[in-house]
Amino acid sequence: MSHLDAFTKGWSFRTSTPDFEPGQEITAFVTGHDDGTHVVRIGDTVLSLDDIDDAENGDRDRSSDGNGTGGETNLLDSQVRLRVEEFNTNDHIGRATVLERLGESSF
Amino acid sequence: MSADPNDSTNEPGEGGHGAELEDAERARSGEPIHFYGGKWTSALPLAIFVVWAIFQSALLGIGDTTGLVAAMLVALIVSMLFVKGDWQVYANTVFQGMTQRVAATAIVAWLWAGMFADTIQVGGFVSGLVWAADALSLGAALFPAITFVLAGLLATGIGTGYGAVIAFTALFFPAGVLLGANPVLMFGAILSGAVFGDNLAPVSDTTIVSAVTQDADIGGVVASRFKYAIIAAVLAFTGYVAVGTMLGSPFDVNQGAQSLFVENSNPLGLAHLLSVAVVIATAVSGRHIIEAISWGIIVAFVLNVALGLAAVSDMVVFTAPQGSGIAGSLSFLPFIELAGPNGEAAVGGSLYTGASGFFPLIILILLIVAGAQIMIRGGGFEAIQDWLLDRFATSLRRAELTMVGGTGLVNAMITINTAAEIAIAPYIARIGERFNINGYRRANILDANSSALGYIFPWSGGVLVGFAELQTLPGQFEWFTQAMIVNPVQVFPFVFHGWLLFFVFLVSAATGFGLEYVFDREAAGVARV
Repeated sequence: MSHLDAFTKGWSFRTSTPDFEPGQEITAFVTGHDDGTHVVRIGDTVLSLDDIDDAENGDRDRSSDGNGTGGETNLLDSQVRLRVEEFNTNDHIGRATVLERLGESSF
Repeated sequence: MSADPNDSTNEPGEGGHGAELEDAERARSGEPIHFYGGKWTSALPLAIFVVWAIFQSALLGIGDTTGLVAAMLVALIVSMLFVKGDWQVYANTVFQGMTQRVAATAIVAWLWAGMFADTIQVGGFVSGLVWAADALSLGAALFPAITFVLAGLLATGIGTGYGAVIAFTALFFPAGVLLGANPVLMFGAILSGAVFGDNLAPVSDTTIVSAVTQDADIGGVVASRFKYAIIAAVLAFTGYVAVGTMLGSPFDVNQGAQSLFVENSNPLGLAHLLSVAVVIATAVSGRHIIEAISWGIIVAFVLNVALGLAAVSDMVVFTAPQGSGIAGSLSFLPFIELAGPNGEAAVGGSLYTGASGFFPLIILILLIVAGAQIMIRGGGFEAIQDWLLDRFATSLRRAELTMVGGTGLVNAMITINTAAEIAIAPYIARIGERFNINGYRRANILDANSSALGYIFPWSGGVLVGFAELQTLPGQFEWFTQAMIVNPVQVFPFVFHGWLLFFVFLVSAATGFGLEYVFDREAAGVARV
């Protein structure tokens, strides 16, 4: 991408419910829990995360916010790389698998 | 936590988050602090600071950053009295907060930006802009519009809107009055130019804070916010042309502006457009901000000496005491002088004053992030965050409107806009992250509204700085009467760029214009533009 593109990027109206293709790999923050399942909210699109392997993906419940998922890894507000497994373009919901934990929230 | 703004190890999606992970781990896993009155009491350090800041800046009109340093110190002491049990945890948390990378990154960028800004100022950048205004030979109707453009150029170069307001109020304002331009519109145009530069300049203190608190690189945020700034600026320019032709001046001074301009103009000062271009181009091309500004300083230094715009001693000078034998024998060097009979021995020059000018703000950001850390460990941060998320930010559009409105509200209350921006930044980060809004977008929302609102209201720091300068004009010009001084209350509808920038963001939040998600920067590869 040229340097000029950096100035011209974003001159458009973006949907609040982005859609994804199954198999698509993206980076996102884990934004909450729903019935013990981690969810990633991207705009108003919601991806539920499959269970992840504690040993591979970080430490155990570190959160002091009371939203932890018991003995499972708490990824809330972590940045992760994930793969979209299935996606419903009508309801803008889907399912994804965490591939890697990349970082944390800025604060 | 943010690392260096252009450090490629900070790249989401590429791993290498060691330092940030460590910071975040420590912040979360640290021992919680329990307060009498519950977790909300942990907000006391920042609450006392905000109340003091409103009292000082909004009610009393005192724009003294060191006063806010005292505010944070008092706030940290008073709040400690409300801690249950051992106060050592609280004390350690203060240290831990102050050592966070977000503060260090902003401090380093500020020091470099300060040196650059002062060096192009001693090199007569303002004189070059004065020459340009004179060469254009504009009438009263167009003068406010071109004043807005030139003030915007200066503020983009030096990064400080306050500095641009002072320089332009001293020279362009009286020139505009002489030409027959409306004084209120002139003052509004100067403040608008300050908003433009404060918002867009890579060396602006608010730009730096917006980028480092939202995990974005400074060159990238400058490029990505150009679209909002230019839309507002084109509309503001049109507004100044239109209103300039409608509103005349109630004063007829009967004296040309030419003499005022001739005394203060130097076309060579425009050479520093090159210095500014070097900083912007290198930052946007992905070089580290320290490298980008260092190149700008080097180019400005060389231009100053080569074109005779400033002496070496204007940029760095050792003024030794008179009796110093060594200094006497070295006084042939261009950066060594001997103090006069009553003069003080000191180090000076633009590199010195540019850096030292930021010292109060540097101490302040250290203390504010310490206060924020207390709030995180005491549970208050999360309580307020959850309240905002449950009550207001329930959908993407509402979340962005909350971010715009919240930033605007805090900046309307705390009129020293960099301080306000630091205080609200953690919430902009967290609310934005909960909807996976890209760091550039978050930084743009944060900075545009901090810049805009800091120059609009009668109690805003930028307006008060200009008002103080206006009051010195009757003493400088015989023809300048007290009646020509613009009251801060009169000017607020005429800060067109400030209002328009705010409205551009309200519309953007409501419609999704310019919206980017976290995954976009990876997909489009814009992270290190």
